[in-house]
Amino acid sequence: MGDFASGSIGKTVRRRPALSLPRTSRIIAGFVIAGLIGLTAYFLPVVESSTTPVVSSGGNILNPIAGPTEPFTVLLLGSDDDSKFAADQYNTQSMILVRVDPASKQVTMLSIPRDLWVPISGQQGAGKIDTAYQTGGVDAAVATVQQNFKVHVDDYVWIGLKGLIKVIDTMGGVNLVVTNPVLDDFYPADINTSSPYGYYRVALLPGPVHLDGARALQYVRSRHGDLRGDFARSERQQELLLAMKAQAKHLNVASLPDLASAMNGEVKTSISLQRMRELFAVLEQYDPSGVHRVILDAPYTSEGWAGGQSVVFPNWSRILPLVHQSFPQ
Amino acid sequence: MKAVTYAVLFVAMAGFGFGVYHAAGALKTDSGRIVRPSSTTAPALPGTMYFAQQGVLYRFRDGSFTQITDDAGWTQVSASQDGSELVAVIRHLNYSDVYVLTSSGRVLSQLTHHESAQVESSHWSFYLRFNADRSRVFYSYDEHDSFESYRVDLAIYALAGDGSGSVVRWTVPNDYTGGDTDPLPLRNGGLIYTEYSIDDKAQVHSQVWFVSRPGQVGTALTAADENCFQPALSPNEKTLAMICRHAELQSTDLVIAQLDQIGQTIGPETVLVHGQLSASPVFSPDGQTIAFLAPVRPGEAFQLWTVPAAASASPSAARPITENLGLDSSAPPAWVK
Repeated sequence: MGDFASGSIGKTVRRRPALSLPRTSRIIAGFVIAGLIGLTAYFLPVVESSTTPVVSSGGNILNPIAGPTEPFTVLLLGSDDDSKFAADQYNTQSMILVRVDPASKQVTMLSIPRDLWVPISGQQGAGKIDTAYQTGGVDAAVATVQQNFKVHVDDYVWIGLKGLIKVIDTMGGVNLVVTNPVLDDFYPADINTSSPYGYYRVALLPGPVHLDGARALQYVRSRHGDLRGDFARSERQQELLLAMKAQAKHLNVASLPDLASAMNGEVKTSISLQRMRELFAVLEQYDPSGVHRVILDAPYTSEGWAGGQSVVFPNWSRILPLVHQSFPQ
Repeated sequence: MKAVTYAVLFVAMAGFGFGVYHAAGALKTDSGRIVRPSSTTAPALPGTMYFAQQGVLYRFRDGSFTQITDDAGWTQVSASQDGSELVAVIRHLNYSDVYVLTSSGRVLSQLTHHESAQVESSHWSFYLRFNADRSRVFYSYDEHDSFESYRVDLAIYALAGDGSGSVVRWTVPNDYTGGDTDPLPLRNGGLIYTEYSIDDKAQVHSQVWFVSRPGQVGTALTAADENCFQPALSPNEKTLAMICRHAELQSTDLVIAQLDQIGQTIGPETVLVHGQLSASPVFSPDGQTIAFLAPVRPGEAFQLWTVPAAASASPSAARPITENLGLDSSAPPAWVK
């Protein structure tokens, strides 16, 4: 027993320590690598988004923002992308030009009426501006806006119905003040359904509310029960953008993978997610009083008929001076 | 032995990597976890309060919550003055109906039947309120326009509380504004409510109005540019609380003012809570406190708050009562003795 014990001790003394320095280093390195793999897996959606900007078919990365203090203009496009439409051939129900001036801390949002009757890029003659995307993709939509409004568009963001719902739900909903009852007896029941021509009734009650993605979509999409029709909808879309901007201030970097996953395939943009994060960081500094909202109702436009359909005619002699003032080149 | 050691190390490293993945997820912005009221408690308030959360009605008394109905789409609960009966809405996809309940949540009667086979022929009922003697239930209702199917504007009606079906129309809403909301029947037979309008510059306004009898042209108690709505009356009907957004789009103020029912005017307004997205105030039964709904942290869902109902109250006197309930901010809780 004693021999065995002493032999055992002698053996132990001769053996290398269980955790010698090189081996300890390897183990620590193993844990570090495992942790990095865990982190990489978590942020993978962000990595994919930031290295590969999502572009639509035929879309290009437009004009990258020159620097953090340079003003830039983004065209926001919102589409009904339900099963009524062929893939990526949607009307843009919402078109909002946003100019951000980091130096003066001013943001200008100009909503373009979807029924505006203008020459469409790549087409003969005039049409409703919301058909530009349907016929020529994002290139045509951007070109049509640039040619008619004489503005330079640096980047674009396109979002579909489900994308908006997902993004807002990922943000945890949005808080905003509904200014008056939004009632619509013919709200399209076209999401997650095989019969996209149905409808249901919407009643969003006025006052401060916390909206999930589905109800926020109802807020910006409903148009039948308001005296101002599409113009009211444009105003509500701008309000939702401001609410989303406010909500984005509360997101941290750990929320980005969920946001990136929500946007995957539902949001198309020439801005990388990393740049979008920078954009949100810039927007965080803005005071609501620095946000100017422009709606092109009368006298900038007038309603009428063209091509057998109800349209909105632009009054360019009034619109262009306003645009040049709001979107200086 | 060596193989076992390597295997253990490998599993530990994989576990560590898995842990890092989940730890990163745990750092995500907590956008407000919502819990059922019956699984939590809150500081006690005097009297009894009733409110709706996610389709269920709850009673809040002595700091604890009791579920009093099943999940059937219940919302917008109001109580009779003595607290013996409740009136509440069940909201469905295309319509909503008015129900009278006992204070323990048992349904006594269904006062409206607004479902229709044709979607657009269904109706809404919102903003229920008993009058003082409980003989009528005031509410907002969308009467259909047979000539303009897109026009859906709420008007204030009063319905017999006994279910006899007798209905009186009180207000005529402005076309295509969404209509009139928040009826508050007065003991003298008058009515205070919110009216929405759109001016010639396409700006939406909300104003608190007073009308002394059905169909009469009323008097605006607040100016159009104050954009006030969601009025609440103190039990003695001498103080009016309301929400005003003024020129703001993303913030509101909770204000109070003295009400002169004879002169149909209100006195100077005092802001009790400023810029906090306050909504749906209601006075306590003794008139000393106002409960209202607002997020505790920006961007989160709405919680119950209280503030002393005195013009001298400091803005910092407002305190949150709940933390994680996510309450429906479109109508106030009912608060009785």
